[in-house]
Amino acid sequence: MEGAGTSYSNAFRFVAPLQEHLLQGSILDAHCEVLLHRLRGLCDNADTTPETFSDYEAVYQLKNNLATPASQYILLRVRQALDHPEAPHHIRYLGQAEVGDKSRHTLVRACFDVACSSNVRDFLNELGFKLDHEYVARGYFFHKGRMKVMVSKIYRMQQPGKTDQNTLEPITQSHMVELSVVAPMGQDSIGEEMKNFAEQLKPLVVLEKFDHKRLP
Amino acid sequence: MQAPQSKEEKQLDAGLEGLITKVHDLKNQIAAFINKLETEYETLNWPSMLDNFALMSGQLNSLKQLLRGDKMPALRNFVLFPVLLSQDPDPHLEKLTEGRVVSCNHDLVPDYLRTKPEPEVEEKINLIANKAANVNIETATKQLNSLNKITSNLLDIINSSKDEWENDAGQKGSQPQTSQQQDTTNLVAAVTKGLRLRRPDPSMQQMQAGPIHSMQQVQNPRPGMGKMPSAIKTNIKSGSAHPYQRP
Amino acid sequence: MGVTCVYSYPVPDGKSGQAVVEILQRQIELLGALRSGHFCVDCDTFQSILQTSINVQPKTVYILHNSEQPASCFAITDTSLCLTADTLFDGLMHQLKNYYQQRKNAKMEAKGQRYELGDFILKVGSASLAGSFKGIIVEVEYCPCMVAVDCWGLMKELLQSVVGSVADQPPPILKNRQDELYSPSITVSQYLDIFNNFRKLSATNQIGR
Repeated sequence: MEGAGTSYSNAFRFVAPLQEHLLQGSILDAHCEVLLHRLRGLCDNADTTPETFSDYEAVYQLKNNLATPASQYILLRVRQALDHPEAPHHIRYLGQAEVGDKSRHTLVRACFDVACSSNVRDFLNELGFKLDHEYVARGYFFHKGRMKVMVSKIYRMQQPGKTDQNTLEPITQSHMVELSVVAPMGQDSIGEEMKNFAEQLKPLVVLEKFDHKRLP
Repeated sequence: MQAPQSKEEKQLDAGLEGLITKVHDLKNQIAAFINKLETEYETLNWPSMLDNFALMSGQLNSLKQLLRGDKMPALRNFVLFPVLLSQDPDPHLEKLTEGRVVSCNHDLVPDYLRTKPEPEVEEKINLIANKAANVNIETATKQLNSLNKITSNLLDIINSSKDEWENDAGQKGSQPQTSQQQDTTNLVAAVTKGLRLRRPDPSMQQMQAGPIHSMQQVQNPRPGMGKMPSAIKTNIKSGSAHPYQRP
Repeated sequence: MGVTCVYSYPVPDGKSGQAVVEILQRQIELLGALRSGHFCVDCDTFQSILQTSINVQPKTVYILHNSEQPASCFAITDTSLCLTADTLFDGLMHQLKNYYQQRKNAKMEAKGQRYELGDFILKVGSASLAGSFKGIIVEVEYCPCMVAVDCWGLMKELLQSVVGSVADQPPPILKNRQDELYSPSITVSQYLDIFNNFRKLSATNQIGR
């Protein structure tokens, strides 16, 4: 068992970031069943019941200069699975989305997903990050090839840190539908694949790319 | 005289070859159709019948094109007549026709090499032709007009029911609205920027100053969240102290 | 992965670090250990460049890698909170370059030979700061046990036969956590402790001159 030494860790130090391709949409709760049936038919593993997930996500923000509000900041998302407490936590960094490129059908942004131990929240607090907002997402996820579809209901937490059902409140009467692919940089054919898949979900759900800068 | 003849002969040969292939295809198609009717008559439906008929009509059309084409010599200029008739079975003929025609005899020739319709058929045709010639012009015009009227009425009825059906189908598809744009925007904003997910934080009141930048929504909605008009009733518990406040 | 003790072995005056390393290696081989490769533990320092109030020390984060856990990356704050993450964490620190900058010439490394002796894994190596030799590090791991208090006696015996009186007491970090279930983050914290000691030592030496 040869310890590889620094050469191994060096190779990973500046690994080419992965990119996330994303399409988002929503569906009213009343029509969610229909969408789930359709997704079940379209995606892999049609014979097993759709997999559910229940995640608690908190977004931490680190600002460059605490004095002025107009300073740079960076957001890190910490996600933990509430239904699998032994699974590792995840830190996710999402870069700014490149928009304006009309030939791209999907939103593309840099994506880092790091698994870590459960003391991550304390660690980030030590580093100077502050909790910006948090929510619980519950729903189903499907996958087709390397595409992942998540149909989730977003809940607001009325008490910080408490994720029991009775302290959760849904923020809309709709489920959020996200189609995403995480792939190494430079693979642009994924957009076509995603667009074709999105076509099959119309008119139930219209998946499109949102310009995050133009959100209210 | 030999050379042009052989050219015509060549043309005739080529034309006949083409005819034979086309007729062969048509024969196969008809055989398949008959087979289908015989074996699948329980599960057959009208659209697939129409498909078969369409296929046959297409093949007949291509046969017609071939006959009309430039490459085909004027076949009416040629006469086909049997040179030898015999009662004995002819194995060569049998092989050529795949067992359908065993011998070229006196029964076969009048049917296959007929140029005029049968006598009974010819009589019926003459009867109808005479009747047509004797028809009065006025009655003919009246009949024509009424036929036109009936046809146009029928067309109207069919078109109107078609429109009705299309409207119905269109309504069924567009009526159930399965997603609300406002909800979509809210959800995406919540997941991406934390809109409507933050609790009003008293310590942040100090940071209100500064230009309202699109990036600075992170600061501004906080104190104003309770007043934000939203379709969804939000229950914001403004805590006494933000639990994540830095000491 | 079992209980691990990490010590820094003092270099007696007059001898070179390399010679002492060789002596230790020979001793271990005499015990019957078999050589099983190399090991490397390295440490990078990141300092925050956030503008906080003037009297407060800028925060530091140490990022360590251990060749024994090649797919992991350890991050330790100055309050000894240790985060275990996978190797993509390095990339994440790179993304934070506007907030935490890597201190140049502050890379510490411990490199050397790895030996296996029955249930024990022994490592002898030299520690260097930015390429210059600072000291010798000896590590002993007892794989079957994961609670330090249960196997300290056994480990002390083996350690004393290798490093002598240096190992009279368990390492300070381990002393406070003897009842806990052992994890690689404790090993890495021990290394950081030793690295920091070397750093302080070299800083005082420089001031002394």
